[in-house]
Amino acid sequence: MATTARSGGNASGSTAQRPNGTQQNKNCQFKLVLLGESAVGKSSLVLRFVKGQFHEYQESTIGAAFLTQTICIEDTVVKFEIWDTAGQERYHSLAPMYYRGAQAAIVVYDIQNQDSFQRAKTWVKELHKQASPNIVIALAGNKADLSNIRVVEYEEAKQYAEENGLLFMETSAKTGMNVNDIFLAIAKKLPKNDGAHNQGAPAGRRLNDNENNRQTNNCCK
Amino acid sequence: MHQSSSKPESRLAAITFFAKTHPGDVCGSNGLPLTPNSIAILGRAQRLKDLKHPHLCQYLDFVRGKHERTIVVSEYFGTTLLDKSRVALLDSLIARIFYQIVCALKELAEQNLVVHNLEPKHILLDDCNNVKIFNYGLYHMTKCGDYVPFPIGNVRYMPPERFLGAKNNIKSDIWSLGMIVAELLLQTTIWSGMKISNITRKILSFLQVGNVFEKIAREHNCLERYAQINGELRALVETCLNVAPSKRPLPTELLSHPYFSKDVTTYAYTEPPKSNVLLLRCPLEQIYYWWQLAGGDVQSELKKEGLIRSEAPILAIPQIVCLNGAIVGPKRSQSYLMDDRVVPLKLNNLFEKLCNLPAMAYFPLIHSPKFPHNFGASMAQLPLVIREKDIEYQFYRVRLFSRLLKGYPYTSDMIRKEAAKDIPPYLRGPIWACLLDVIPIGSYEKIDKFTPTSTDRQIEVDIPRCHQYDELLSSPVGHCKLKRLLKAWVTAHPQYVYWQGLDSLTAPFLYLNFNNEELAFLSLYKFIPKYLQWFFLRDNSAIIKEYLCKFSQLTAFHEPILAKHLSSINFIPELFAIPWFLTMFSHVFPLHKIMHLWDKLMLGDSSYPLFIGISILKQLKSTLLSSGFNECILLFSDLPDIVMENCVLESQKMYECTPKSVSHRLHVLREEPLTEFDITTDVTLAHLQAEMCPRISAKDFTNLLHHAPNDMCALDLRSAVEYSHVHVPHSLNVPFVAAQLSEPRLDALGVPQLEELMHGRIVICISNTHEHAVQFSKFLVECGVLRVCILHKGFNILHTIEPNILISN
Ligand SMILES: Nc1nc2c(ncn2[C@@H]2O[C@H](COP(=O)(O)OP(=O)(O)O)[C@@H](O)[C@H]2O)c(=O)[nH]1
Ligand SMILES: [Mg+2]
Repeated sequence: MATTARSGGNASGSTAQRPNGTQQNKNCQFKLVLLGESAVGKSSLVLRFVKGQFHEYQESTIGAAFLTQTICIEDTVVKFEIWDTAGQERYHSLAPMYYRGAQAAIVVYDIQNQDSFQRAKTWVKELHKQASPNIVIALAGNKADLSNIRVVEYEEAKQYAEENGLLFMETSAKTGMNVNDIFLAIAKKLPKNDGAHNQGAPAGRRLNDNENNRQTNNCCK
Repeated sequence: MHQSSSKPESRLAAITFFAKTHPGDVCGSNGLPLTPNSIAILGRAQRLKDLKHPHLCQYLDFVRGKHERTIVVSEYFGTTLLDKSRVALLDSLIARIFYQIVCALKELAEQNLVVHNLEPKHILLDDCNNVKIFNYGLYHMTKCGDYVPFPIGNVRYMPPERFLGAKNNIKSDIWSLGMIVAELLLQTTIWSGMKISNITRKILSFLQVGNVFEKIAREHNCLERYAQINGELRALVETCLNVAPSKRPLPTELLSHPYFSKDVTTYAYTEPPKSNVLLLRCPLEQIYYWWQLAGGDVQSELKKEGLIRSEAPILAIPQIVCLNGAIVGPKRSQSYLMDDRVVPLKLNNLFEKLCNLPAMAYFPLIHSPKFPHNFGASMAQLPLVIREKDIEYQFYRVRLFSRLLKGYPYTSDMIRKEAAKDIPPYLRGPIWACLLDVIPIGSYEKIDKFTPTSTDRQIEVDIPRCHQYDELLSSPVGHCKLKRLLKAWVTAHPQYVYWQGLDSLTAPFLYLNFNNEELAFLSLYKFIPKYLQWFFLRDNSAIIKEYLCKFSQLTAFHEPILAKHLSSINFIPELFAIPWFLTMFSHVFPLHKIMHLWDKLMLGDSSYPLFIGISILKQLKSTLLSSGFNECILLFSDLPDIVMENCVLESQKMYECTPKSVSHRLHVLREEPLTEFDITTDVTLAHLQAEMCPRISAKDFTNLLHHAPNDMCALDLRSAVEYSHVHVPHSLNVPFVAAQLSEPRLDALGVPQLEELMHGRIVICISNTHEHAVQFSKFLVECGVLRVCILHKGFNILHTIEPNILISN
């Protein structure tokens, strides 16, 4: 009963070219961290993005879980190394370990919970102060399938995001709405030129350029 | 239902019904699917198992089948009142039946339960004319019938107020009782053959009637018989049939009525003769458990009786579906309709399996050395999964532990000793409680579990994510219980806070003691200080850091090559092992795996979990060794199937061969104070973090030297001169200053046969310059040497040991 799922197929050692790949494919990997109050749907978003699944009884995350997923924009293969963190305030002290060196963050709140939106704002502040200055931050208003009982208005969040230079989308891990899109939007905004293979923390990681799973194909439009 | 006269008689039976299905894709307000009603029933029904009363059939099990089917297993025997009353009964027997049903109702009223389906076929009589009522929990388990698509209760015995919507009043059951007794006394079947709607009308018309009993007698032409009834008895029935519930007597009032009290022995329960079948003297719940192990399966019994019919789904597919949703096709299958037949479960198989057991095995003598109780010893070597499914073995174990548990706490040592062999799953909950030294004293009741607190939100969002694949834990009753337990724990520990993960930690105890919240609570209460002392402090970072550091050190101790690899790729336990230890693996494994893991854990001390962690690494060793950081961390984000039996055996082995001080942590609950020969408190976290290998205490060192010199290899790192002055017997001198440590190669040390000398032993690095020992031990780990540690306080501490252990020249 692990905390989260792993991405498919990334352990393959083959280095064959993707069948439809062009020769000058660039490879980037980015470290991305999910932050936000407990039970807003962080793990569910990752599970949807990485495996295309939704578990109603998603187990809570303790400490953090790690997953990867590769998508492809234009001629670049982008691999996300995703840290999904525990939401409870008490686990806060662990958070820097995960957002340190991250190039991107998704701060998640639940559109039917005002407190979670406030908490999201606090995370954004903390990231601006403590994380790397170029970090790309996206704000995700999750559980958009429940918009009939929302308490956080779309416009309010949108405005907040604009004022703070955040990407913003309302998402639903349940229906899949905007889930791939938010990761895609982040990938587009991340710099992909400067040899950005940006080995974050641990050294000696292998690049995989042969991911051709379902997600990848979907995103190559 | 007639009891077959051939022995062995059946004592158990099953009934089945369907719960209401939720329409299509309806979601709760959280957008998630609603809990199936059959699960809700399962949760509510559990407490019925605890009702043990001479006039109530004992509930034994509740099983969910396909399509929201619920199966109820309960005690069942003798003759129903329906059958018995086909011939007229004597008034004295009727009075006895009356009295005993009231006894049952009194007990239920005390438990805040109502029956609401009391009728003659639910009243059973044994050979001594003792009454037990059957199926009395249906109304409760279905939440007043809300969870089922059919009405509960036989219209004929329903009081008028039930038609008007009144529920949950024991007085309604008193009316039903009145009707049953009236019918018996009048020797007739009331309203026989009448349609339900007409019966309803009749009952409602009673609202205008003064004396219902008399009215019924008149309608059925029984006035003559009515007049013959003993006046007192008749009056009692009349009060029961009072139209106003408030004017009907309570069970206690009936019981103390002079009509009964003047001759109570004729009416009260008669102890039936003891069965000469030994098995039938065992508790019914044990008999049912063994019945299952002997191959009994309720679902297949119901199939045999045609109560569960499987039909090819294709036959149910409509032929035409109109645009307005109307369906043309085969008629709705009859097999989904209510069928209230009672299916007895035959015990023949079980009797056959157990017929050769010695009588002693039923009631093992645990205090008479003359009668050893080691039944089943020959099976002790079989794999655990086989032992757990073996009827004969489990019979011995359950009987033995039942005995031992009765003697607790005086039998603590014996329980511990037997539990080390294995723990019978059937008694796991109470056995764990004993291993944790739990003694219930009613304290749980007094703890506030209701006042709202700031942790409530966190608890509320965690519970619906906690082991929800389990039927009981996902039921609404399960949620309430878990919430109460968590809130109680937080209230009882002002010094601690709720950390996410406490829910998972509590789940196994709730799962095992679903009907005994106090035992679940006290087990958790004792478990945490034993294994997770101070983990739930608001700031627990020092504790967790020390723990993880010790984990790394012990990994280096038992798995040097793996430790070296993991450290080289920066794969630190902080990234994956927090949920392991904070929840003692209850967040990472499903419940059935935790059971076996914790069976062993309960017998070990606070260091045991560290070895479980290492055994998990060990099982994944080849994958880990060939993987980089990402692959490793991915492996742990979705832990592959760990074979628990290996994990348990491995951890046990490591635990036993590791000197206590090697796994020493500062942050544990200590019973005895530390001495200068233990690992002293001046060893800080910074030390631990800087040292790859654990330290061993002078005490353990001396112990090894005295009792198991062949298990150790002492490497003296001091100079040859110092060594020649004084040294430990059998120690090897490997002067640090001369040692070549630049490359991880043992032969570079130039000590002949060093590898063989260290093989299979605990390698202890001794120096007076601590830094030398640290560096040298790290070198050994990198060379792949097993079980390397450092003598705490170095060589000098050995001078102070008395009697002297050193050889000096
Ligand atoms: N209706 C709805 N429920 C969701 C959605 N995302 C997550 N959930 C549910 O919210 C609960 C918490 O989700 P989880 O992913 O564990 O949240 P986390 O603590 O932030 O990781 C789970 O029961 C999910 O099934 C969503 O988009 N819509
Ligand atoms: Mg989560």
